[in-house]
Amino acid sequence: MTADAFLFWFLALVTIGGGSLVILMRNPIYSALALVFTMCGVSALFVTLGAYFVAGVQLIVYAGAVMVLFVMVLMLFDLKHEIEAFAKGQISGAIKILSGGLLAGIVGGAILASTKLSSPTDAAGAAVVDPSKALGYKLFTQHIFAFEALGVLLLVIAVGAVALARSKGGTHGQR
Amino acid sequence: MGRDIFEISINGVKLLLIFFMMVQAVPILVWLERRGSAFIQNRFGPNRVGPLGLLQLLADAVKFLTKEDFAPDKAVRKLFYAAPVFALIPAAIAYAAIPMSVPFTFPAFEFQGTTWGPYELKAQGYEIGVGIVFILGVASLAAYTILMAGWGSGSKFSLLGALRASAQVISYELAMGLSIVGIIMMYGTFNLTDMIQAQQGPFQFSAFGYTIASEWLPNWGIFYQPVAFVLFFSAAFAESNRLPFDLAEGEAELVAGFHTEYGGFKMLMFFIGEYGHMMIAAGLATTFFFGGYGIPWVSTQEMHQIIMGMGFSEVGAQGLNALVHFLSYNIKFAIFLWIFIHVRWTLPRFRYDQLMDLGWKTMLPWALANTVATALVIYFVSI
Repeated sequence: MTADAFLFWFLALVTIGGGSLVILMRNPIYSALALVFTMCGVSALFVTLGAYFVAGVQLIVYAGAVMVLFVMVLMLFDLKHEIEAFAKGQISGAIKILSGGLLAGIVGGAILASTKLSSPTDAAGAAVVDPSKALGYKLFTQHIFAFEALGVLLLVIAVGAVALARSKGGTHGQR
Repeated sequence: MGRDIFEISINGVKLLLIFFMMVQAVPILVWLERRGSAFIQNRFGPNRVGPLGLLQLLADAVKFLTKEDFAPDKAVRKLFYAAPVFALIPAAIAYAAIPMSVPFTFPAFEFQGTTWGPYELKAQGYEIGVGIVFILGVASLAAYTILMAGWGSGSKFSLLGALRASAQVISYELAMGLSIVGIIMMYGTFNLTDMIQAQQGPFQFSAFGYTIASEWLPNWGIFYQPVAFVLFFSAAFAESNRLPFDLAEGEAELVAGFHTEYGGFKMLMFFIGEYGHMMIAAGLATTFFFGGYGIPWVSTQEMHQIIMGMGFSEVGAQGLNALVHFLSYNIKFAIFLWIFIHVRWTLPRFRYDQLMDLGWKTMLPWALANTVATALVIYFVSI
């Protein structure tokens, strides 16, 4: 086994292990922390693919900012109540079985579909001068509309969140 | 990792060496901080054990190691014990990516019938193409340590301290990331080594047909991006939870913040993490704004020629060149670390709302303005 293959299998283990811990853990805090592990694993997998910029951004945005907020909010919850709400009840049990079946279907479908894909040919051998520069050109020429649309979408979300918070009084009340 | 077993092992040793360098710098910094604070406050500081009190560090280490290892009754054990270990990891990984000297070319040699090399050994743990994005990404993981410690301790003071600290770290990460966008645009690269190469030689700037050149000013980033430097360096204080931004601790309100329940060596590991972040900030400030390992007025090639002229062999000159630049880097690095310490003992702590106002209402707009101004200048100069 080459070093690259070893690295890939190790990182795959970390990523998938973290991912399964997210759904197997009862305590939401552990789930969130396991999700951080998954993010770091995905980021490291991007590094092995040579997509350094995407890897760095994955770390900064998802692992460094989004998940920190998740964990922060979870720590303020009454966790005993949450765990009980998720551990009992027929409705939540039905939802669990349903989502488990859905996940199994998606995973099975992905495995079936991926066998049809052709093996990578010369992706690694292609001479890429600066991948992050190439990514920038692609984003701001070919995909500029999608890029800007996403920006507008995020702005709408931010404005909506502020509007909702204000309509309920906000943290400091109406001034 | 490397082409063959020799390069891989060299790189592994290098990583370990840099990690130990970081960890070993901490006792010296602690000594400097205690002596420096004493100097600032007109006291003596630790001066009893050994010359200048230097052996105090050893005594402290023994004390930390022999203290009782305890966990509070209400603590979540796994997180409580994991947090100090995780405090070290991001700092160590990020610090290893900062270049500390010129690369050293190891000549080809023959061993057991095969020819090995030549190897180019870089004076950093590993070089990564998107250096700065990677360093910021890894350093941002430090927020989890604080949260894990705060929640795992099972104490209100710890939790409140952790929430404050992580909110602070996230807010200032934004200002920090935006403040260096101008630098990235100016040099057109994420790579730290390329940035240092671009800062060699004397200062020269030309736009609209005018040329501003100086004989004695080095071509350092601070002369192009002074606003970015101020923003970056202040955000670095907040990122490493140092005064005047050490709201994470806030003894007056929160006992000691997220590490209230920690004692002995676990506490020391948080300390090492904090100093590690200080070192990353000092290293990055050196790299972005003060020419990294470069020596003012002498480029790396010129330095190599000078040493060759003194009668050294090619390999010896390369080694010496690397050493000289390593010293140059460390002098700048040490000056920044001293500024960190000096500021801590000079300025009082901010109030929490002042901290958030400064981050979101002052530093973020200024960083944005700096980015836009840099973009405009680059656009008009390039026409």
